[in-house]
Amino acid sequence: MALTAALGNEHMNALNKCKVLMVGAGGIGCELLKNLVLTGFTDIELIDLDTIDVSNLNRQFLFRKEHVGKSKAEVAKESALKFNPDAKIKAYHDSIFSSEFGLDFFKGFTVILNALDNRAARNHVNRMCLAADIPLVESGTAGYLGQVNPIKKGMTECYECQPKPSAQKSFPGCTIRNTPSEPIHCVVWAKHLFNQLFGEEDPDEDVSPDTEDPELTADAGKAALDAEAKKDSIGGIERKSTRAWAVETGYNAEKIFNKLFRDDIKYLLSMETLWKERRPPQCLDFHDLPGKDTQSLSTRSTDVWSVQECADHFSRCMTELKQDLAGRGDSGMLVWDKDDNHAMDFVTSVANIRAHIFGIPLKSGFEIKSMAGNIIPAIATTNAIIAGAIVMETLKILVGKMDKCKQVYLNRVPNDRKRLLVPCALDPPKPKCYVCSSKPECSVRLNSSKVTLKTLKDKILKGYLNMIAPDVEIDDGKGTILISSEEGETEDNEDKFLSDFGVGNNTRLKCDDFLQNYSLIVSVVYVEKLEGEGEFEVVGDISECHPAEDEASASTNGISSSAKQTAEEDDDLVVIEDLEITDTNQALEIEDISESRKRPAEDVQPPVMAKRRAAEGGDSEDIIEIS
Amino acid sequence: MEVEDNMETITEDEAELYDRQIRLWGLDAQRRLRAASVLLIGLKGLGAEVAKNIILSGVKAVTLMDPNMIDEEDKMSQFFVSSAPMGQNRALASAAPAQLLNPMVKVTADASDPSDKDDGFFAEFDVICATGCKNSLQCRLDNLCQEKKIKFFSGDIFGFYGFMFSDLGRHEYLHEEIKKRKKDDEDKEDEGITITREVTNFSRLEDELKFDWTADTPGMKKKIRQTPSAFFITRVYEEFLELHGRRPTVATMDMDTKELQNLRILVLNKLGVPAKCIPEDFYKYGFGELSPVCAIVGGVLGQEIIKAVSQKDAPLNNFFLFNGVNDEGMVDKVSL
Repeated sequence: MALTAALGNEHMNALNKCKVLMVGAGGIGCELLKNLVLTGFTDIELIDLDTIDVSNLNRQFLFRKEHVGKSKAEVAKESALKFNPDAKIKAYHDSIFSSEFGLDFFKGFTVILNALDNRAARNHVNRMCLAADIPLVESGTAGYLGQVNPIKKGMTECYECQPKPSAQKSFPGCTIRNTPSEPIHCVVWAKHLFNQLFGEEDPDEDVSPDTEDPELTADAGKAALDAEAKKDSIGGIERKSTRAWAVETGYNAEKIFNKLFRDDIKYLLSMETLWKERRPPQCLDFHDLPGKDTQSLSTRSTDVWSVQECADHFSRCMTELKQDLAGRGDSGMLVWDKDDNHAMDFVTSVANIRAHIFGIPLKSGFEIKSMAGNIIPAIATTNAIIAGAIVMETLKILVGKMDKCKQVYLNRVPNDRKRLLVPCALDPPKPKCYVCSSKPECSVRLNSSKVTLKTLKDKILKGYLNMIAPDVEIDDGKGTILISSEEGETEDNEDKFLSDFGVGNNTRLKCDDFLQNYSLIVSVVYVEKLEGEGEFEVVGDISECHPAEDEASASTNGISSSAKQTAEEDDDLVVIEDLEITDTNQALEIEDISESRKRPAEDVQPPVMAKRRAAEGGDSEDIIEIS
Repeated sequence: MEVEDNMETITEDEAELYDRQIRLWGLDAQRRLRAASVLLIGLKGLGAEVAKNIILSGVKAVTLMDPNMIDEEDKMSQFFVSSAPMGQNRALASAAPAQLLNPMVKVTADASDPSDKDDGFFAEFDVICATGCKNSLQCRLDNLCQEKKIKFFSGDIFGFYGFMFSDLGRHEYLHEEIKKRKKDDEDKEDEGITITREVTNFSRLEDELKFDWTADTPGMKKKIRQTPSAFFITRVYEEFLELHGRRPTVATMDMDTKELQNLRILVLNKLGVPAKCIPEDFYKYGFGELSPVCAIVGGVLGQEIIKAVSQKDAPLNNFFLFNGVNDEGMVDKVSL
């Protein structure tokens, strides 16, 4: 057989015995499944919870327009079977977090291949593979960049050895509320407004002028407050919640427009210190807007709408969203979604109206979607190259040559050593990794009389430390149980504070996740008040790059954030190049060492249209909430 | 590509379908893509990967040309026809599954031999990409393309090895760079995008292959050392293809192995490079076309076609060489 001849008997024998699990059937997954089937992998299982969207079709070539809305796993399987009808492929339209995929499930495979789009799932599969002691090939792409990382317990770094800093930017509240200077500030404000009007109200997302702006002197703040009191008595606009007020007006577009874009702006103007060295904002009136003389109403997402067009879209969206909200019942609320046209057009129009007020350039709906949805661009070719590289590394693992495996980075342009694909030596495990070391430990700084069990469970253990269903007991010899993963056992305690259970400085909490087969000792470091705004801070080896309160998946695409960090450090490479290398093999070794931490450096730049790229992955792949 | 006068705006349907890539390369690049006609010669594993990548990207039209029949080796890399009955023409059998990838692209098939086509036939294309072709045909097409200002690409895969070559003539493109800039009114930095118009000049394939490696200088020794092994290795296979009018096959493995070993010596002597440039056991890894190798080289080749057509970003100049035995994927210009 031709394949046997091409691969050699050793590979072919290993392939025949191999059972492979693919996690993810999106951008990388479609390409990977094709490569696996053609290369002679005949026992393949794949898991993906996602369904097919039109915006997948430019690269996820196993899917077509008629498949939109269907299971990615199922359709990928059907399409790939056409390449080799004899292949055995099993598809699960399910979440990898499901308890169905426990340790025994993972142990049934020769190798696990990740083709994922978010960090939470990557962390989870990493832990499952460590627990099952099965090799994992991790991967990610973002635009033109990509990487492949083979991982094996005890031999290489695990996915969580390297801290992955948040790629999310946050903006000071006063910038968003008082002094926006960039389109993104207006976009964030518009999303906050959406939540205030239709979604879950969050006190951190206030859209009204901020009288506690540090730029304001005490007097100025007082003057503004006085002015506000006056206005409230005269204009009858009480400082009640934006939502309550909007409901009272019946979501009247004109009233809401004039409050947000006329009255609130007047109020901001009264804070004179803010505008001494800034261009002051300009109030708008609903009936006298720039562009009102033209009759057109563009609906094209690639056009930049005039202010009048934005106001028209604003009015329309207000009506539509009001109906959407009514459809959710009495206590229902809307969740902002970039793929919901009403929600997206609302943010586009609001962000642009506010941008006009502050003299900030207006943007098309297409561009605003990039910012608001934090979409990471994705193309077929990068995914194809990375999926090819995954199989090349997997073949080595199958014949027991894991030591020959490399981390592979795809650059945008060749590096100084002509390499477009940069192979780097595998790094050994970090001895103090809070996931893969033999006795995982970390410390958390918090005020135990202010942090509840619920915060410990949801924000610290699940949100930050990526557990799925933690059990927590105090490591005090008595084994006081704080949190149980069994339903109905500890829920009643959730609103109590840690101190209520005697948790204080130096208390050791034994945290277990049964599904992940993962145990972690969390040492509490008592602090009265943290420097930042968060409720807790994880410290120790893993803390350096983790800003506290990083709940959302930041760089979801697996493009290691350290890639970005090393971006500026590439000078080292030049030094290496200067060494006169006399032998090719030696050169290779030196490169392996020197480049082992050199990620696709110079290339990590946001693409032109998506300024705020975090890092891809997903299809939902590509999406990260920014606010 | 005379598209400047005919830059219709992207429709909402296109914006939706191409959303994730327009966010990478922009609307203008997508408009240029939409105006481009591509001739893709050779529909083996590499050709199928290139076809997939450029059809997905949304070019105007792709003509698939291959005079040969589907064979046993297509099962391991040519996904359009990997389970199709043998004996059909590869291009004709690939057209329907290729068309399904993107209804907005006009996909046509041509079962004729490119060697039989006269020069006029080629003039209608914006891009010609020749895979699995003899070296002499690649050179003829390259010269023809430069005469007619057509972007030329070629490439091939031999087992674990592969290469891509491009000749874009005098190529103009937009280069984007993100620079930190100081803002005037505030003391903080901000990212700004600067766009510059750049020009790169390419060499002809036949000139690259005529390069004289024999100078006995430290500089030349260093150059030889730094030239990717896949360059020398793929020369042996190109020589085989030229001499025998076919690739080494599994059916004739013993015979072909001997010939490859002979040709290794011939290529080493012809170029005048040291024996270590081509490992003695190179032939073990050069049968068939491995699917992941096709994916890697086809991914790079597809992206280079997209770059050339969209005139966006610096192109790779001019070889991409992949050696799957040691994970090398390098870019080199021999005549530099």
